[in-house]
Amino acid sequence: MSDKLLKVDNLRVSYHTYAGEVQAVRGVSFELDEGETLALVGESGCGKSVTARSLMRLNKVPPAEIKAESRVLFQGENIYDFDQNRLRRYRGQDAAMIFQDAMAALNPTMTIGKQVAETLLHHQALSKKAAREQVRQLLQQVGISEPERRLRQYPHELSGGMRQRVMIAIAFANQPRLLIADEPTTALDVTIQAQIIDLMKQLQQIHKTAVIMITHDLGVVANLAQRIAVMYAGTIVERGSSREIFYHPRHPYTNMLLEAVPRLDQPEDKELASIAGTPPDLLNPPPGCPFCSRCRYCMDICLKQRPPVYQFEPDHQADCWLYALEKPAEDAPFTRRDDHE
Amino acid sequence: MKVFRYLIKRLLIALITLYIIATATFFLLALTPGDALSARVEKLPDQVTERLYEKYGLDKPVMERYLITMKGLLHGDFGESIIYEGQTVQDIIAEKGPVSARLGLQQMILGVGVGLLLGILAAVKKGKFWDYFVVVLAILLISVPNLIFALLLQMVFAARLKWFPVIGWPSAGQWFSGWKYTVLPTLAGCFGYIAAYSRLLKASMLDVMNQDYVLTAESKGLTHREVILHHVLRNSMIPIITRLPMTVAMCITGSFFIESVFSIPGLGLYYVNAVAAQDVPIVMGETVIIAALYIFVVFITDILYTIVDPRIRISGGKR
Ligand SMILES: Nc1ncnc2c1ncn2[C@@H]1O[C@H](COP(=O)(O)OP(=O)(O)OP(=O)(O)O)[C@@H](O)[C@H]1O
Ligand code: SF4
Ligand SMILES: [Mg+2]
Repeated sequence: MSDKLLKVDNLRVSYHTYAGEVQAVRGVSFELDEGETLALVGESGCGKSVTARSLMRLNKVPPAEIKAESRVLFQGENIYDFDQNRLRRYRGQDAAMIFQDAMAALNPTMTIGKQVAETLLHHQALSKKAAREQVRQLLQQVGISEPERRLRQYPHELSGGMRQRVMIAIAFANQPRLLIADEPTTALDVTIQAQIIDLMKQLQQIHKTAVIMITHDLGVVANLAQRIAVMYAGTIVERGSSREIFYHPRHPYTNMLLEAVPRLDQPEDKELASIAGTPPDLLNPPPGCPFCSRCRYCMDICLKQRPPVYQFEPDHQADCWLYALEKPAEDAPFTRRDDHE
Repeated sequence: MKVFRYLIKRLLIALITLYIIATATFFLLALTPGDALSARVEKLPDQVTERLYEKYGLDKPVMERYLITMKGLLHGDFGESIIYEGQTVQDIIAEKGPVSARLGLQQMILGVGVGLLLGILAAVKKGKFWDYFVVVLAILLISVPNLIFALLLQMVFAARLKWFPVIGWPSAGQWFSGWKYTVLPTLAGCFGYIAAYSRLLKASMLDVMNQDYVLTAESKGLTHREVILHHVLRNSMIPIITRLPMTVAMCITGSFFIESVFSIPGLGLYYVNAVAAQDVPIVMGETVIIAALYIFVVFITDILYTIVDPRIRISGGKR
């Protein structure tokens, strides 16, 4: 177990609101090796951001409640047992985070130079001058031209792509072992998206950083992640290697997500399948499979009992009754067009 | 260049505003029945009355008086007081102005300073004892009128404990040695600011603490203290600055009460008396000066904005 960089075990997070307890994350478990990239994919509201914040202990408690049995083990140590000193070293040095909206994630009244320098100065014994030089280099590394001028500017003076580059510079400043990127490209237009993804990939390779890439768009992670976990209504419903997920999806929800990814080889006249229906209310989640209200294969048992985990390849699992019942059910009732791959 | 044009524009607007205020004040006074002399001349022979009216120009028609007054204002000459014989308005303002200014500044610095500190305390300790303490204190301070506080302070700290004088104010030569006189009036006038600013800053800080960039700051591993000092406070000050003109206005109106309760020879007391007696020159003079002060504070506020919030530039609004 100590060879794993990160091990998340039965993470459960609720928000206490006036309406009641919102069960935002309902038992999420996964592991991450050094230098590996895991994609966490799912629709809006499925609990991706809450999960991401939990990995940094950034959820505000209250209103959030991290259930007692939840474990987030970083190099074997539960971050929820860290004292303040250890936690501060974990944040920013062991692990870093990038947020969706860089405009909101950067302090509007502080120069970007200071915002980058701050994280350096906090974790390394540096003189102001040395820190400034490092900031300059970092900005250059993330592809910001004229760093000397830029570091004196404020976030609003930069373009959206530039701002996300600054966030990346902050995240990589202390060469963290783990990077959590919460939809880092969603707010950007497509060309910039690709550039940012490339940049992250490049830095990750240089620093051998493990990355958790959160997105609602499977297309973004296709050639970025080694493994993919598909999240639905606060749980991971399917997980596996990228190849398995893309070419042999087992969970009906994963299949629907894949149908919704725009494809280059797709005939022009064919409309993109969008996912009909809405996810369940997390104030009052259904007792059975959370996906049943939208699932075309829904059976009686799906409504009553939570589906078991069904193992396919050594590294491919899905929570779905389809496979548990029709033994031996090796095949999904749906097939991908490019199954010959 | 942009800055220069901005300044010219602001100056023009200020002058027009002042002109309108002066005109409105003049006609409001002119429309009120009676005049500054009517009480004084009741028992005087007609001849004397006539000479008095002539002396102050009150025998002339309204429009002519208006023109004379405005011409005076234009030259910075406010004329001679009617009820305080022989004193020009300039003399009175030069003498009483510093008294009121000192009182007001002391109240504001103490009140705003303590208010901001309590606001930080309440925000940082949200939901804990100190938060509730500040909330209750603010409600108490805002619901009890300053006048009551003034009387209470006089009773306890002056009459009973005899720590400070009941009334009075240091005379011109004893700015520092007479500090004891200023303690109670300053305290009595600062509670309103404490209440207003503690609530304002707490609300503003709580709002800022929910922003994503505070999450970013925390994710860098900064200490709680660093997050508050470097990221939360400065951003929380932006809405606070908006209230600066309001505070100065509060200070000016508030001082009228405090000055009368503590018999402080400031402008406030004179102003109130002058309005009651329809002493046109004093009222006009003080009104114009107070209005000018207020406009100046609004201007300073705008400048402060551009300093605290880099998104705001002098000629434009928020981007
Ligand atoms: N502070 C909060 N108070 C109450 N409920 C919350 C809070 N934060 C999140 N939630 C709830 O938790 C659930 C998951 O939210 P989360 O932000 O993790 O979704 P997400 O998967 O990141 O979606 P998106 O793609 O829109 O970012 C949502 O139902 C949301 O309503
Ligand atoms: S468990 Fe049942 S409802 Fe859920 S995804 Fe599988 S088939 Fe559909
Ligand atoms: Mg999110």
